[in-house]
Amino acid sequence: MKQDQITQNNGAILKARARALAKEEDQALAPRSFIEITEFSLAAETYGIESSFVREVYQLRDFTPLPGVPSFVLGIVNVRGQILSVVDLKKIFNLPAKGLGELNKVIILDNGRMEFGILADAVLGTRPVALDAIQASPVTVTGIGAEYLKGITGERVVILDAKKILDDEKIIVNERVSGSE
Amino acid sequence: MDNDNEEFLKRLRETFRVESGEHVRAMSAGLIELEKTTDPKKQVDIVETMFREAHSLKGAARSVDRPDIESLCQALEGQFATLKRQEAALTPALLDLLHQTVDGIARLTSYAEKGQTKITQQQTGELENPMPRAGVESPFPQADTVRIPTTKLAPLLLQAEEMISAKMAAGQRVRELQEIDRILSLWKAESEKWKDRRSSGLEWDEWLERNGERMTALQSQVVATTKAALQDQRAFRRMVDDHLEAMKELLMLPVGSLVEVLPKLARDLSRAQGKELELTIQGAEIKIDKRILEELKDPLIHLVRNCVDHGIKKPEDRAREGKPPCGTIRLSFVVKDNRQMGISVSDDGSGVDIDKVRVAAAKLGLPQANAEKYSGPEETLQLIFHSGISTSPIITDISGRGLGLAIVREKVEKLGGTVSVTSEKSAGTTFRLLLPMTLATFRGVLVRVRSRVFVLPAINVEHVLRARAADIKTIENRETIQSGGQILAMARLGDILELPVRENGFEAKKTSGETAASYMPVVILTFAEKRMAFLVDEVLQEQDVLVKGLGGQLKRVRNIAGATILGTGKVVPVLNVQDLMKSAVSSTAGARKAAVTGTTPARTGRILVAEDSITARTLLKNILETAGYQVATAVDGVDAFTQLRSNEFDLVVSDVDMPQMNGFELTTRIRADKKFVELPVVLVTALESREDKERGIEAGANAYIIKSSFDQSNLLEVIRRFL
Repeated sequence: MKQDQITQNNGAILKARARALAKEEDQALAPRSFIEITEFSLAAETYGIESSFVREVYQLRDFTPLPGVPSFVLGIVNVRGQILSVVDLKKIFNLPAKGLGELNKVIILDNGRMEFGILADAVLGTRPVALDAIQASPVTVTGIGAEYLKGITGERVVILDAKKILDDEKIIVNERVSGSE
Repeated sequence: MDNDNEEFLKRLRETFRVESGEHVRAMSAGLIELEKTTDPKKQVDIVETMFREAHSLKGAARSVDRPDIESLCQALEGQFATLKRQEAALTPALLDLLHQTVDGIARLTSYAEKGQTKITQQQTGELENPMPRAGVESPFPQADTVRIPTTKLAPLLLQAEEMISAKMAAGQRVRELQEIDRILSLWKAESEKWKDRRSSGLEWDEWLERNGERMTALQSQVVATTKAALQDQRAFRRMVDDHLEAMKELLMLPVGSLVEVLPKLARDLSRAQGKELELTIQGAEIKIDKRILEELKDPLIHLVRNCVDHGIKKPEDRAREGKPPCGTIRLSFVVKDNRQMGISVSDDGSGVDIDKVRVAAAKLGLPQANAEKYSGPEETLQLIFHSGISTSPIITDISGRGLGLAIVREKVEKLGGTVSVTSEKSAGTTFRLLLPMTLATFRGVLVRVRSRVFVLPAINVEHVLRARAADIKTIENRETIQSGGQILAMARLGDILELPVRENGFEAKKTSGETAASYMPVVILTFAEKRMAFLVDEVLQEQDVLVKGLGGQLKRVRNIAGATILGTGKVVPVLNVQDLMKSAVSSTAGARKAAVTGTTPARTGRILVAEDSITARTLLKNILETAGYQVATAVDGVDAFTQLRSNEFDLVVSDVDMPQMNGFELTTRIRADKKFVELPVVLVTALESREDKERGIEAGANAYIIKSSFDQSNLLEVIRRFL
C-alpha cells in the first residue's frame, strides 16, 4: 500500500516535471540560431569574429613593417612560406596602441577570395553566440569602424562582420607612385 | 545525367577550340608558304597538306555539331581539291579569298557556342569580314596549355619520388636533435641537484667523470648529426636543382610556336596599306622558356608593325629607290653563348630619318634633342625607344603615337634583355634584341637602410660605390654624385621610403652620412636607360631570392615590388626600382633639407586659401588637404583678412584677382600688420606679366605662382619651403 502511494507520488512529481519541461520547451520552440565566434581582445575591449571566416590563429613572432602603407597595415608575416599582410584594427577603431608581446596573435581571415590577418592583443577562445543576442551597435559608434560591426552582445562583446571586412575595397592597398618619370 | 552530358559537351567544345586553332594555324601558315613558293611541286605538297587540314577540321566540326564551320571547311576542301587537280590557277585574288575564309573559320571557332550562322549563309566567295580586324589580337585565344611528351614526364616523376627520401631524412634529423635535447635536459636536471651539495670527495669525482663521458658521447652525437645534415644538404641541393632544371626544360618551347602568326600579320598589314612584303624566319626551332616567349609576343608584333608602317614603302616608291617592289622583313633567332638568345628584326626599307627623330625629341623637350650634346647619330637613333617619339606626321589608330617601341623596350628590359637599333638611310633598319633563354632565378642585393633590410633587384644594380661626403655635391639643393664621368642625381633611400629615423623608441643605427670622414655605400640603379644613385647604410650581400606577392590585401604598394623570405625565415621587402626613381624625382625628400632634419613628410600647418572662384577654391583646398594640411577658405581679400585676425594660420595662399580686396592689397595689409610680418604669402595668379610679379614682390609676397605653370607639385613644393 505504502509502496503504491510512493509510486503514485513519484508519478505525480514526474508528471509535474515533465509538464514543466514541456513548458520550457514551448518557450524555446523557435530554434535559436547560433554562430560560432572567435573572441579576442583589442586594448581594453573584447571583440568577436565569425569563426567560419577564420583560417587559423597564428602566433605573432616577427613581422616586417612596410614603408608607404596606411597606418592600419602593421606589416607582413611569413606563415609557413606564405606571405600575408596583417591589419591592425586598433588603428581603424581608434583604440590606444599597445606594445607587441608574447600574447599577440594574428587571426587569419579567409573567404576564398581575400586573405589577410588581423592583429589581436590576445585570443580568448571560441564560443557560440545566439544570433538574437546580438544587438545593433549604439548610435554613438560611427565612422569607418562602424560599418565593420555586426553588433554587440549583452556582455559588451563587439561582433565584427568578417564578410564585410574581407569584401571591403577600402581595406585594399593599391597605390602607385604618381607623377611623371 | 543531363548535367553530366552538359559537362561533357563543354569539355568537348573546349577540346574542339584547341584543335581547331591548330588546324587554322596550319592552314594560315600553308597559305603564306604557298604564296612564297614558285616551285610547282612544292605547291602541290602544300595544297595537299592544307586539304587534309581542312578535311580534319570538317570532321571535328561535325562531331561538335557546328554545321557553320563544317560547311566552310567543305567549301575550302573543294577549293583545295580543284587546286590539287590543277583545274584552277593560283591567283592573288584566290589566295586572298582563301585567307579570308580561314580567318572566318578562326573567328567562328573562337565562339564557344554556335549562333553566328549568319556568316555561313554567305558562300565562301562573298565571305566578308563581319568585324574590323582586331589588329594585334590573334583570332583564337590560345589555350594556356603545354604539350609534354611522356618521355620527359617519367624522369620528372622519378625526381619527385626521390624527394620522399628528403622528407624522411628531415624526419630522422629531427629525431636525432630531439634525442640530444632529451639527454641535455636530463643532464641539466641532474646538475641542479648538485648545485647545493658540498663537494664530497669520491662522489664528486664520480660525477665529474660521468660528466666527461656524457660530454664525449654527446659531442660525437652532435658531430654525427651535423655530418648527416651536411650530407642531406648536398643531396637536397642536387635534388632541387635537378628538379628545377627539369621543370624549366618542360617550359622550353620552340620559337616557331610564337612567330607563326607573324607572316600573316605582316601580310594583312601590308595589304591594307597597299604594300608588298615578305617575312622570312630563321631559327624558328630554337627553344626558349615559355614565359619569356609569351612576353616576347607583343614586342615582336610591335617591331614587325613598325617595319611595315615606317620601313617598307609602297612598290612604286621602292622602284624609285631601285629596290624590288616586294619588301623583305627578316626575322632571325640565334643562340649566343648558350645562355642568351639574339633576335634580329630587319627590313630593307628606307631607314630611320634621324632629323625627324631629333625634331620629335625636341618637341617633347628631351635634353638629348640638343644636337651638340648628342651629335652621334647612333645616340639619337636610340631615342626612338623613348615614349612619345614618333617620326610619323599623323597620329592614326594604329601608329604615330610613339608608344610601340617604348613598349618593346620596357618589355625586353623587364625580361632582363636589351634592345638596340641600327639604321642606314634607304638601306633599311635592324632591331637587335638580346634575351636570356630561361627566366633567370631572381638575384637580389640586400641592403640595410636605417634599421631595415631591403632587396634591390640585381638586374637594376649597375654597381655599388663607396663615396665620401665630399663626393656628394648639391645642385639646386639636390644631391648629386659623379659616377663613370656622369653626374647622377642622388637620393637617400631612407628618405625616399619615408622610413622613420627613430624606430621602436631606439635610435636607428647611425646613418653613415653622419660621419663625414667615413665612406658611404651608394648603389647606382638603372632602369630603362635612366641611372640614379641611392645612398644606403650598408650593402649586405647578393643572393638568389624568390619574389612573392604581398597578399591580396596589398595589391600594390608604392616603391615595393614584393617580398622574399630569407633562409632565416625573415621576410624582406623587394623594392621596385621604377617606382623609386619616380619617387625620388617627385618628392622633395631628394632635397638636402629634408635629409638633414630627417623628418617624415607628414605635413602639418594651417593654410588660409583666398580665392573667389569656387572651382579654384575647392581644387586648392583639395590639393592642400591631400598633402596633409589644415585648410580654411576665404572668398575674397576682406574675408581672408578677417579670418586671419580671428584664427591662427601658418601660410596664406591667395588669388590675385578678387572682388573687394585683391591679392596685392591683401598682401600689403598683411605686411602692414605687425602680427603678420613673418606670415608667408603665396600669390597664385593667371596673369603672367612681369609688372604683376614685381608688384607682388613689392607688396611683400613670398612667392608668385602662375597658374599656367601651376601643377600641384609645384605649389606644394613652394609651400613646403615655407613650412
